[in-house]
Amino acid sequence: MTEMIKLFVNGEEVEVESGKNLIDALEKVGIEIPHFCYHPALGADGNCRMCLVGIEDGRPPVVPACKTLAKEGMKVLLDADNIKKIQHDVMELEFINHPTDCPICDQAGECKLQDYYMKYEGTESRMWVPQVTKRKMQDFGGGVIHDQERCVACGRCVRFLRQITRTGELGLVNRGDDCRVEFFPGRPINNRYGLNVVDLCPVGALTSADFRFKQRAWFLKRAESICHGCSKGCNIMVDHNKEKYEDDIIYRLRPRQNEQVNGWFMCDEGRMTYKLENDNRLEECTLAGAVRPLADIFADAERRIERATKVLFLVSPSASLEQLAAVQALAEKTGATVSAFSDGYIVKDDGDDFLIKDDKAANRAGVDLLGIAKSRTHFDNMAKEADVFINFGNDLSRSLSEEQIGRLFSDTWVLNGATHPGQLGAVMEKKVGSSIALRSWSEYHGVVVNCDGIAQKFVGGVMKNVERPDIVEMAAGLGSPATGTAAAWALVQKKIPALAEFGGFLELPAEGVKLTDNEAGK
Amino acid sequence: MSDRSKLIATGKPFKFDKKRDTEFEQLVKRYPSRESMVLPALWLVQEQESWVCQEAIGYIADRIGTFASKVYEVATFYSMFNLHPVGKYHICVCRTLSCWLRGKQDIVNYFRDELNLTPGKATEDKKFSLEEVECLGHCGSAPVLQINGEFYENMDVDKVKKLLATFK
Repeated sequence: MTEMIKLFVNGEEVEVESGKNLIDALEKVGIEIPHFCYHPALGADGNCRMCLVGIEDGRPPVVPACKTLAKEGMKVLLDADNIKKIQHDVMELEFINHPTDCPICDQAGECKLQDYYMKYEGTESRMWVPQVTKRKMQDFGGGVIHDQERCVACGRCVRFLRQITRTGELGLVNRGDDCRVEFFPGRPINNRYGLNVVDLCPVGALTSADFRFKQRAWFLKRAESICHGCSKGCNIMVDHNKEKYEDDIIYRLRPRQNEQVNGWFMCDEGRMTYKLENDNRLEECTLAGAVRPLADIFADAERRIERATKVLFLVSPSASLEQLAAVQALAEKTGATVSAFSDGYIVKDDGDDFLIKDDKAANRAGVDLLGIAKSRTHFDNMAKEADVFINFGNDLSRSLSEEQIGRLFSDTWVLNGATHPGQLGAVMEKKVGSSIALRSWSEYHGVVVNCDGIAQKFVGGVMKNVERPDIVEMAAGLGSPATGTAAAWALVQKKIPALAEFGGFLELPAEGVKLTDNEAGK
Repeated sequence: MSDRSKLIATGKPFKFDKKRDTEFEQLVKRYPSRESMVLPALWLVQEQESWVCQEAIGYIADRIGTFASKVYEVATFYSMFNLHPVGKYHICVCRTLSCWLRGKQDIVNYFRDELNLTPGKATEDKKFSLEEVECLGHCGSAPVLQINGEFYENMDVDKVKKLLATFK
């Protein structure tokens, strides 16, 4: 527990956490101090002057809140006339050369300038001199588009690239009202975290080339999810929307704060994984090449599992704990073997020391916790013996070539549950007995364990027009005792006692639960 | 201030000559951190070439081991660094308060009318170039000109006329 201190805001006593600056400390208790340049991840810079507050203890009349530590008994003034005038005047200054093109600006709806104008300024422009015009739609590289006129010169992007990625592509050049953000000619943004500057930018100066003009911010529905791009498990917000007569589509992924995992950021590759969720998805369930209702496929497969001498299930290392447990329960009931063979998910030397990991599977730690085998030899041996093979969403084409898959399952009956075509290789897919189109991670809820052993919940908000089963439903259809996510979650809790204290998976704390390696089967 | 962010590329790689190279290495020892070398290095470039080109900024950044954007920031912030080729005589007219009140505009207009020379430009024969700069710190004897580093105080159009004649 952090120590609590008492201080006074506008004469009223509030209790805040100690060791924080005034902006952060008061934000936690719902008191806003406006600011542009300060960001918790980048530290105080003090250049925007928007957070000036009065402190009644003989200090200078006003001090920047971002650089002032909250102290016991401090008397903070936020509503004094001089503070209000400063906020009003700083806003007026920011607007002198601002184009006020909100109707065509992507940031509209989530823009600090808009919010603060309504709250702290609200007056008409008094300017009659021509505005300083600057460059529009400048390509900063890395998918970042810059509009110099909208910039408030807070320097968040500059500081991010210098402090966090240490690549320093951007700088604030010129001075006075000609000040602008630029990259040195020939050295544009070129790093794997560049798009974070778009989130950091408090105004519409930096926008994402990928998201620009696709959707207004206020139409987007948000779902708190976990990135499935690698084993880091960055906390993300899935911004999606279903337009009339259209399918529910994800427009962008944004990082969500979690100090334990990703801080405030995520990598550019992870951000682009939303495209896989939208495009080229399997839609139909087939039996012997013909489209058939799911119930028929389940009934057929169930009969085959019963008659088979050896059954092999392959699960994905990105599947949620619930899904893994449901498949495991089905395997226990039918005497099948479960493998999570997925060597191809590991991309050697791709990771770095920040957020990107070599392992591109979201829940490999969960696979280990549940004690599912994943070695190549185990999988090869089992595949040779098996006469029924069921794939639960594993992208086997990452680990094995088409010929290798074909050879392994040349005389095996195969049921392929997959999200995208080609996960067993194009040749094999023509030979499968039946196939089921599955939901992907943005469409179901669950819990995954990241590379540091932190179990995190995620919510799937996307509702596709085409109804697809998720892996828990697929396992249940094939006869798994875990008939739903709740039942599967109970199985997970039995295997991982550290999770037992949480009723449903939604009760997991937002920052995740740290599990230790020997947690399983305690 | 005008927009100084558009750098001019010569298309040729920049390098310190021998004299500046040794001077650079001596100056490095003077400072606790290499980053402090940004300003001295820019001065060295200007001494050598009389102006600072895009390649020189990249060269300095790599030589110091800092981000090119940082050197770019400094070079565009200070109007003392010429970011375009200058004439044989580079004339800086102070445009800050005292000089403005004491008639710097007459002098600027004189250059415009007589020599077809506007701030930020050079004459066709590359003899003169003109720049309006911020306070030169000689407010007591405003208006002042600075020509190739030399100060000329209490100037007016007549004095400028006579002064330019000596340069011809």
